Amino acid sequence: MPYSFDIYVIQAIHGVVYGMLLFLVASGLTLVFGMMGVLNFAHAGFYMLGAYFAYSVIAWSGSFWLSLLVAPLCAGICGAAAERFLLRQVHRFGHAYELLLTFGLFLAIGEIVKWFWGNSPLPVSVPESLSGSLTILGATYPYYRLFILCCGVAVLMIVAVLIMKTRIGIIVRGAVSDAEMVGALGTNVPLVFTGVFAIGAALAGLGGAIAGPFLGTSPGMGFDILTDAFVVIVIGGFGSLFGALAASLMIGVLQSYGVLMLPRFALVFQFVLMALVLIVRPQGLFGEKE
Amino acid sequence: MKAKIVALAACAALLILLPYVLPFTHLNMVIEIAFFSLFAVSYNMLFGYGGLLSFGHAAYFGIGAYTVAILAKHYAGLPLPLTLLFGGIASGLGGVLAGAFCVRLKGGYFALLTMAFNQFFFAIALKSRSLTGGDDGMSLKRPDLYLPGLGAVAMNNILHVYYLVMFVVILCISVQWYLSKTPFGNSVRAVKENDERAGFIGYNTYLTKVALYASCSFFAGIAGSLFAFFQQFVATSSIDAAMSMQAVFMTFIGGVGSFFGPILGAGVYLYFTDWVSRITDRWEFVLGVLFVLLVMYARTGLMGFADIDRIKRALSIRKEGNR
Repeated sequence: MPYSFDIYVIQAIHGVVYGMLLFLVASGLTLVFGMMGVLNFAHAGFYMLGAYFAYSVIAWSGSFWLSLLVAPLCAGICGAAAERFLLRQVHRFGHAYELLLTFGLFLAIGEIVKWFWGNSPLPVSVPESLSGSLTILGATYPYYRLFILCCGVAVLMIVAVLIMKTRIGIIVRGAVSDAEMVGALGTNVPLVFTGVFAIGAALAGLGGAIAGPFLGTSPGMGFDILTDAFVVIVIGGFGSLFGALAASLMIGVLQSYGVLMLPRFALVFQFVLMALVLIVRPQGLFGEKE
Repeated sequence: MKAKIVALAACAALLILLPYVLPFTHLNMVIEIAFFSLFAVSYNMLFGYGGLLSFGHAAYFGIGAYTVAILAKHYAGLPLPLTLLFGGIASGLGGVLAGAFCVRLKGGYFALLTMAFNQFFFAIALKSRSLTGGDDGMSLKRPDLYLPGLGAVAMNNILHVYYLVMFVVILCISVQWYLSKTPFGNSVRAVKENDERAGFIGYNTYLTKVALYASCSFFAGIAGSLFAFFQQFVATSSIDAAMSMQAVFMTFIGGVGSFFGPILGAGVYLYFTDWVSRITDRWEFVLGVLFVLLVMYARTGLMGFADIDRIKRALSIRKEGNR
């Protein structure tokens, strides 16, 4: 092979970085799915909204850090509203209709974004404090990508602690396995649903805000990451946070090596991996059998 | 019975005379409605009758379209009916391949996997540049139809195209109508209602679902074949996610589970998008909002409004509630 060892290391880091970004998006998706059984197409819409809100906040205030705070907040509010006023109305008609509703929402959000921000991709520059680069093994590596990595790890820690160690986490986990029983014990389950949906949307918004300077902000960005995120939660197992982490990293690394070695098939790798996983373990790597 | 025959004859007469009354541009639209009807009906068989919510039906539409384009380009001597049939068969095979995996999952899981397979086939179409032209798409020349005893029927005449497309579409929809009445159709319904019980009674639920998935793929493939044949051009837009959603839209607008709903839906959808896109660029927004409203307030689609018994029942329930 003409490549030196360094390139493999750099590609591996690339892969992990993209994987972490993917995890940011997939974690919200898998949380919502695990708890409400809703396959949320609108997730990609919230991701897109996050990126565009971040763009506007940066244009208005010039602060990247403020955008990281505001974008997820706004996306979360949109998510809460969507759950409360739309999704809840069709809940009793079954999952198929919920799924179709979120899809209609995704279409509408995509168009609203084009309406307000235009069709062409918007430039979002990397903040000055993160615009430098680091030298690894003789190659330069931009700080911003390492920042994405750190964000992914931080979100993973926060969500894991929230779910595993706090009272809210216990209620959420309880509602995942038996919502009716948790309701009978006196918890306001619909409120928990709205909260989880809002947190999922906020995570998507954060993912979008971070992805803007890295992948670009354009109207097509939502669907691009949606298919990858869906593949991630299929491979990882529906509703499993650690499954989503493992699968995100696998997809990220697979894609970055795939592009290097077999560029012609770069779009297909994740689906081949998914098919393989489904043959061996239909419930996904970390999923529980029905 | 007699009324039915009269109605059928009237429909047939209408369809035969239609091209002589309609202006040219509308004839194109009617042809489009015809093959998209077939596409939507095949989707409705899958979702409305079989309960399998697929988000990747365009994969088979696209496989059919690309197969016809490739055959017309490289094997121009092949008779036209065979070319169209091969489009369907290729899609049917694709359906067996993907269906064998997909139908093991249920509900949303199934939807996701069909979507992933759609993306998989899309990626293949996009990346095999030498065969499919990738981004640029590929154009083809409509092959002529050779009828025994009549000789060649020139297909550069839109009138001939109309009759051929109508014939194939009506044939295929009739076959699906017939299929829904066979024991196979009954077992599909049993599996939809409760596949565990159907399994206990002795139905092979897995095989039933694969067979349903493959047959619906086959008919979607025929629709794709006709699309390629009519447009004389195939691009990745015939196999992308938006095309899958088109099937969902048409079926929903017309009415899920009602056999003729999707045909109405295809017509309304195509005329509606044509109209909306002329008055505003934001037609996707209108469509998205319309879809949300449809799911929330009119889950039975247009056919639901036509179902007078149901409306009466709903009204009488409301009256009782008021007492």
